[in-house]
Amino acid sequence: MHSDPPPSLEKRYARIGVVLIAPTVLVFCAVILYPLISAIYLSLFSIYTPTLAGEWVGVDNYTALLASGDFWNAALNTLIWTVGTLMLQLVFGVAMALLLNQSIVFQSLARSLVLFPYFLSTVVAVLVWRWLFNDLYGILNHVLLIAGLIDAPVNWLGQMPNAMISIILVGAWKYFPFVVIVVLARLQSIPEQLYEAATIDGAGPFQRFTDITLPQLRDVLVVVVLLRAIWDFKEFDLIYLMTGGGPVRATQTLSLLVYEEAFRLNRMGMASTYAVAMMLVLLGFTLVYLRQTNRLEEG
Amino acid sequence: MAEVVFEKVRKTFGSTVAVNDLDLTIDEGEFVSLLGPSGCGKTTTLRMLAGLEEPSGGTIRIGDRVVNSVPPAKRDIAMVFQSYALYPHMTVGKNIAYPLKKRGIREPERSERVMATARLLELETLLDRKPAQLSGGQQQRVALGRAMVREPQVFLLDEPLSNLDARLRAHMRAELIELHRRIGRTMIYVTHDQLEAMTMSTRIAVMNAGVLQQFATPADIFHRPANVFVAGFIGSPAMSLVEGELVGSGGGDGERRFRVHCGALDVALPAGLLNRSAAPGPISLGIRPEDILLGSGHHTAAVGVVERTGHESIVRLEAQGTPLIVRAPGDTPIESGETVRFSLRVERLHIFDSTTGLRLNADTKDS
Repeated sequence: MHSDPPPSLEKRYARIGVVLIAPTVLVFCAVILYPLISAIYLSLFSIYTPTLAGEWVGVDNYTALLASGDFWNAALNTLIWTVGTLMLQLVFGVAMALLLNQSIVFQSLARSLVLFPYFLSTVVAVLVWRWLFNDLYGILNHVLLIAGLIDAPVNWLGQMPNAMISIILVGAWKYFPFVVIVVLARLQSIPEQLYEAATIDGAGPFQRFTDITLPQLRDVLVVVVLLRAIWDFKEFDLIYLMTGGGPVRATQTLSLLVYEEAFRLNRMGMASTYAVAMMLVLLGFTLVYLRQTNRLEEG
Repeated sequence: MAEVVFEKVRKTFGSTVAVNDLDLTIDEGEFVSLLGPSGCGKTTTLRMLAGLEEPSGGTIRIGDRVVNSVPPAKRDIAMVFQSYALYPHMTVGKNIAYPLKKRGIREPERSERVMATARLLELETLLDRKPAQLSGGQQQRVALGRAMVREPQVFLLDEPLSNLDARLRAHMRAELIELHRRIGRTMIYVTHDQLEAMTMSTRIAVMNAGVLQQFATPADIFHRPANVFVAGFIGSPAMSLVEGELVGSGGGDGERRFRVHCGALDVALPAGLLNRSAAPGPISLGIRPEDILLGSGHHTAAVGVVERTGHESIVRLEAQGTPLIVRAPGDTPIESGETVRFSLRVERLHIFDSTTGLRLNADTKDS
């Protein structure tokens, strides 16, 4: 039995496992790991994008970054955009989920309509919104003028703080359905008997919301906030298409700054430096997210 | 005063009648079980009393007060749910304190009452745990504690033991009886388990298809079932019910005498077994498994399956096409396939009118 044993069943399974997972690992290395390492590597050079030729500058890009007004401006814009749009997504998302959880009649229709913005291509959505926001022939100004709320057309996208408010609103409109789906799913899994018990125990409708619904939503909201924060933080297409970062740099977020450095100013090294800085921030978010989800799975 | 009265209470869901003209008066301090199969309306009855469902008709009174439109929190009732419905994000202590908090009872009284309840239910050491960290039996006690803490007039319990394993269930049955004895409040207990109903209740309300079948003490329910449904539902194994014919057999001394013909069984009934309304015609004959005596007698039957549990044997007989179930002592020397002789304890036979299903025995009580 002990002389020259054939590989045990577990060992053979392990071998098959390695073979099966290998393609995924290879693809992962090619599309995630390699660009990641390249970005860190490139951030140590001063590179001209079209030729990718450049010289070693060490950490000069990083010292330049810390002294750069553009970087801090973009970081602040990213913060305002992320916090602003995320708050609105949460408020609208939770409110809509509560509403959809109430009525039963229009629920399926309402649910598909609510999901509409989320499924719509960003380019299409943004083009429509730019028409709506247009200062000369947009319907928004038209309606507001007729209603007498404004005296003259408002420049929604070309002026501050309107431009920031506009992208925050469109971002909220586009992404609140995600909050709706997740929160609604959780709402429907809260046992009805908890509400009945609370009713008998003497809690009114508002207290049932604060004492039962909110605590039950807490865990799922933590996950939603972290995920949306990560995604909003690196949002590019919506902002780029709406305002292009303008007026001037008023809505330029870090993603847009990276793009500008790399492909407008042709400074790939500096762009990589910004990207690495973004990555560090996102890494922080991700670690919190992973810790949180692990905690949820355990408890 | 906390008697509970249902008067002509109805509940319909669309075209389905869940509870049909229920009349029921539960005295103060009673432990009453609502017993019946799934969908018999027992839970709906309890939920109407709790205020979680609105009756479609009739009145419900708790004490002197008509509570039809009184919100659940103001009915002075507490409910223990089948799933316990403990607030998962609150500790045991906070769960128990919750009804007090919502009623504006302040510290330190609140903590004192929580502690007193916890002591009574032996939960003192668990007050800082979350429900998920407790065993089923502990969760059950927390649910009871949350109901007890504000000392309601009436306790409503909706199948509270059905999620426990058999051993724990037997233990909790005894604890509930003890608890009822100690606090002396009215308890209304919904169950489909006749053992729970029989062992704990002062009276049992047997329901079927939304209709109250019988409301009586466990002994009455068992020995004097009001109709065929109650007869078949109570008792394990169930009473054998055989369709047959009641025939008069004269009787010279002015007493009415009857015989029953049920297939192979032809039995002369003792004088006075049946009440005044009994008349020749189709009947159902009910025989409890313990009222068939094996070994001698002038009836014969083939032995089918014999289930031995140790202290008793459940024997299935077939007397010329009539199936019967017998409870015999565990050591009865009997094998499947044999033919046995048996006799009936005729004074304990149950006779029901085939058309109305009502009991025809003379000892029938009005319920």
